[in-house]
Amino acid sequence: MSIGPEASITDERSAPTDDAAAVRGTGDTAIAGRSLKQIAWRRLKRDKVAMGGAFVVMFLVLLAILAPVLARIWGHPVNEFHGDQIDPTFSTPIGSFGGISKDFILGVEPSSGRDIFSRILYGAQTTLIVAVLSALVSTVLGTLFGLAAGYLGGWVDSIISRVMDFLLAFPQLLFAIALVSVLPQSIFGVSGRWSRVLVLIGVIGFFGWPYIGRIVRGQTLSLREREFIEASKSLGAGSRRILFRELLPNLAAPILVYTTLIIPTNILTDAALSFLGVGIPPPNPSWGGMLSDALSYYTDDPMYMIIPGVMIFVTVLAFNLFGDGLRDALDPKAR
Amino acid sequence: MVSKTKAVAAAGVAVALGLTAACGGKSDSSDSKSNSGGKSAYNAAITSVVNASDKKGGTLNLWTAQDADSWDPVRGYYAFVWNMNRLYTRKLMDYASAPGKDGLKLQPDLAASEPEISADKKTYTFKLKAGVKFDDGTPITSKDIKYGIERVFAQDVVPGGPTYLINQLDQGQKYPGPYKDSDPNKLGLKSVETPDDTTIVFKLKDPYADLPYLLAMPGAGPVPQKRDTGKQYGSKPAASGPYMISEYQPGKSLKLVRNPNWDSSTDTIRKALPDAINLTITTNAEDLDSRLEQGTADIDISQTGVQTKARGDILRDPKLKAYADAPATGFIRYAAISTKVAPFDNVDCRKAVIYASDPTGLQTARGGAVAGGDIGTNMLPPNIAGSDPSYDPYGRAQGKPQVDKAKQALAACGKPTGFNTIIAVRNNKPAEIKTAESLQASLATAGIKATIEQYDGAQIASVVGSPDNAHKKGYGIMIAGWGADWQTGTGYLQALVDSRYILKNGNFNLPEISDPSIDGLFDQAALETDPAKAADIYKQVNQKVMEGAYYLPFVFDKALNYRNPRLTNAYVHDSFGMLDFQALGVSDGK
Amino acid sequence: MLSYLIRRIVNAVITLLVVTMVTFGIFFAVPTITGSDPALLYIGKTADQASLDGIRTKLGLDDPIPVQYGKFIKGLVAGRDYASGNDVTHCDAPCLGYSFKTEQEVTPLLLSDIPVTLSLALGAAVLWVLIGVATGVLSALRRGSFLDRAAMTGALAGVSLPIYFTGQLALLIFIHWLGWLPDTAYTPFLENPASWFTGLILPWVTLAFLFAATYARLTRANMLETLNEDYIRTARSKGLTERTVIGKHGLRAVLTPLVTIFGLDFGTLLAGAILTEQVFNLRGLGYQALTAIRQNDLPVILGVTLLAAIFIVVINLIVDLLYSVIDPRVRLG
Repeated sequence: MSIGPEASITDERSAPTDDAAAVRGTGDTAIAGRSLKQIAWRRLKRDKVAMGGAFVVMFLVLLAILAPVLARIWGHPVNEFHGDQIDPTFSTPIGSFGGISKDFILGVEPSSGRDIFSRILYGAQTTLIVAVLSALVSTVLGTLFGLAAGYLGGWVDSIISRVMDFLLAFPQLLFAIALVSVLPQSIFGVSGRWSRVLVLIGVIGFFGWPYIGRIVRGQTLSLREREFIEASKSLGAGSRRILFRELLPNLAAPILVYTTLIIPTNILTDAALSFLGVGIPPPNPSWGGMLSDALSYYTDDPMYMIIPGVMIFVTVLAFNLFGDGLRDALDPKAR
Repeated sequence: MVSKTKAVAAAGVAVALGLTAACGGKSDSSDSKSNSGGKSAYNAAITSVVNASDKKGGTLNLWTAQDADSWDPVRGYYAFVWNMNRLYTRKLMDYASAPGKDGLKLQPDLAASEPEISADKKTYTFKLKAGVKFDDGTPITSKDIKYGIERVFAQDVVPGGPTYLINQLDQGQKYPGPYKDSDPNKLGLKSVETPDDTTIVFKLKDPYADLPYLLAMPGAGPVPQKRDTGKQYGSKPAASGPYMISEYQPGKSLKLVRNPNWDSSTDTIRKALPDAINLTITTNAEDLDSRLEQGTADIDISQTGVQTKARGDILRDPKLKAYADAPATGFIRYAAISTKVAPFDNVDCRKAVIYASDPTGLQTARGGAVAGGDIGTNMLPPNIAGSDPSYDPYGRAQGKPQVDKAKQALAACGKPTGFNTIIAVRNNKPAEIKTAESLQASLATAGIKATIEQYDGAQIASVVGSPDNAHKKGYGIMIAGWGADWQTGTGYLQALVDSRYILKNGNFNLPEISDPSIDGLFDQAALETDPAKAADIYKQVNQKVMEGAYYLPFVFDKALNYRNPRLTNAYVHDSFGMLDFQALGVSDGK
Repeated sequence: MLSYLIRRIVNAVITLLVVTMVTFGIFFAVPTITGSDPALLYIGKTADQASLDGIRTKLGLDDPIPVQYGKFIKGLVAGRDYASGNDVTHCDAPCLGYSFKTEQEVTPLLLSDIPVTLSLALGAAVLWVLIGVATGVLSALRRGSFLDRAAMTGALAGVSLPIYFTGQLALLIFIHWLGWLPDTAYTPFLENPASWFTGLILPWVTLAFLFAATYARLTRANMLETLNEDYIRTARSKGLTERTVIGKHGLRAVLTPLVTIFGLDFGTLLAGAILTEQVFNLRGLGYQALTAIRQNDLPVILGVTLLAAIFIVVINLIVDLLYSVIDPRVRLG
């Protein structure tokens, strides 16, 4: 599922092999019709772990949205230097525990003295936006190509499948780094932080689509032979109607689950790219960038490494818990 | 031509990777032994010879986290490679072995005495010493020196090193280098004559007082034509110095053994104390630091400073600190302010940037007072004659930004509310990016909105080094660093400020300073063979540069290095800003 | 069997060709778009026109990109000569050209990096398979127990932790605070097996932790599913011991899907453990790749990508063949 071998959550890789289970799941869908939503929602509500994950996710989203406000109340302007908080000889915060104090509730950045709390908040903005939007890009591409391959079959299928196999068997992180580093800094008249966000969304989204594509293709292949599709066909429904009216609604559940499960992977990939220096450009904060900076200070100022690390961990974990719960709720047999 | 690589190399290593290990044995045993000479103290090696000794024997264990660019004298450009080169290559003239400013004086090395300079200062005649030999026993002749110099011209086969000699010696001949030379003896360069085996004559078109410095660079060393293997020469260069390369494994190790044909009576510069010198090339700079602290490595020859972790260890532990030095490296880290990008065509707008910047913030971004360097006050580094760190026209040394003065300057420039500009910075130099962030933050307080644009650091020559491109991109402020290839005002400043050095590619006169009076001063200096008088001229150049507010100097670069207590004859050589490798010996004979 | 093998190999070669084409396209087309000249990169600081032209002819940079690509492939298969006038440099097959930066031949450069990455990947793989599968099986057998819950919580944490965080934590704790290990470094196994081991154990464990988490989750899920299968029930009802049932019948079904995933993981890991090598200061293929990308060192980038793709493709091939051995249901035709 991931761009990075080391940043991967492999659960989804089992997807191609558990086609059978998934097919059973969608069988239920077909029979249960609309009420599945209610069943799933009830199941999800009972799953405390998943709800905990969802709660944390919502909390993080709220933090990101309110970043400017929160930074004003409890923090300092995100790019403001505080040289007085820094020991001039060692470049590390003067205060203990990374300079955590009433004034700087998460401490200050080594060397510059910028407020880590504010930087974490603004980092959350970019991280979440990149992760969610790139998941959407993957989903849209994956669904389109998966549907096309599964429904049309023949040479279209073999080409798309080949491309997907090819992309999966590809040194992706390498390519992502290379692509991101050669793409220009400003695109579509946008520059700085947001242009890089666009690039990241595009690149991460692009490398993610084959995973969704394979699942959608598998599902479509099996659905295509079902009676209700046959029935539509015999009633004279056109391809478009069959694709969007009959197939797509039945694919909604697995697509939703896998989109949710790509998000944490994307967070890790986004952070990895920033860690390697090709993510969000300075002075804009990013969690991965902070971890990369921390590499030269971690013995003297471990807090600077721990805070963004824990943030990444908590965010990814929350999305994973929620995604797992969602999958269980929509498709209990998949587990 | 410009010393990009040297700048890149030193800056590159400073960047640093992960971290260090258990800081075990502090090797008290060697502490006691080391007291044979003068007692070591923090920064003692900068001004004096620590542990002076003539004791021969033992093996010097050198380490580095960065391999050489090339051991071929004509291809190496890293400062530490030049320093190492003194061990196996002799030149007509070479730097004296002494700490402080004395080290900057050139002494006859292969030459028997100072050159004979003609009255018009255009002809330099050197006589060679008798009895100087290569490692295989063949005598070193003037033709070998000429051949070595000719190799500098073969930039298509052996590129990488400095090319100053081409500028002075080609004189319109378009000499292609010895490999494409039609002369049967491959000695077709016309400006250098070898009337006999012990005489070599350099005929210049225009006077150039710094010629001896160019001849002291590794690329001007002798190369026997028979042993020249072109591209591969760096793996086993002929040795004229006291050591020769016995084995080189790229990325792993280099071994030097004594050159049996080197005669100490012909060499007044080199001590040649250890019996063998081993260089280990490691991958882990942290590991290298812990080895230094434990005494299993003698020095890090890149001499660009220890990593953050070791910096803490050394500065907090007086025992370790006594064996550390933080010499000036001869580099200035600075921001160049383009005179060709509005509104910086106005001197007051440039001044506003200098006043608004936060001197301490920039210093901390470079690593602080100890590991980063002293706050930069002007554009001549302290080790160059004519420099004066107390010359501080913009009051930077007090350490605080001067927003009021910045606003006055902005008003004078006609932009009282500020303006927008772009700071260009290399993406592979974290410390430079940090300085850019600091500059951006402090400029904002004066109303100057700067955007940071990172570019591929490997392409510096064609990104900021191409004036056309820099104008097109609107780079008002460009962050860079510079160290001289030889320590005179010409060696340091000319490429940065002389309008005739503005190049289409690989330009380093980033502000595009075009001031005839500055250019004129360099011409005057070229005639001046008296260093003291030349120093005076450089002082004037420096003042003109500062008055023009073309450069915002961040720091006079320093590097905190640690040396093994067992080392003898340790002192910092001012021409490299690092320990003089050839002088080192070991006290315990191991 | 034979025809299957041939078909797979032909497929693999085609995949590799496409990889080279895409890489070549991106990295040689981009300089033309952004206007930077590879010849300039190659020669570095001394860019007078004559030598630039020399380099350009020598590297064939004036040829159209398809021609350059053709020459590259020829060099790979048969070696090639770089010639400009009478200055000829021969590069033996498989020739990947010369690094723009160091001018070293790329092929030996990469070959010397393989042992580092291979050591890293192999050590980690052994650990994660052992730990992951064992934990997964135990969890499945003691479903709902404390062990199960602890293991699964740990596994979930494991998949949510990036190595550039755990790696730093591990360095801080085990090397800096506790001082149990020397700095991470690569020593060739043959030179000193002990320091090979101590220098790599920390990266192995850190890397294995991430992957073991995934394998534990997968093993557990597969095991639970398998335990419900008819044939396991049959085996039990035949009166076979639990150990035989699990070990002989259960485990086999569990391991089969894992092999595919293992192949993929191991392949990509070999293809460049970029993050791991960055965190632990190891200079293997990943480090080489990252440096090359940062320096725009096209021949090295091309070489690493190709090598990485070869690893992935070859390992996938091996996995497919293995499949036929482990899983008798798969028939190759």
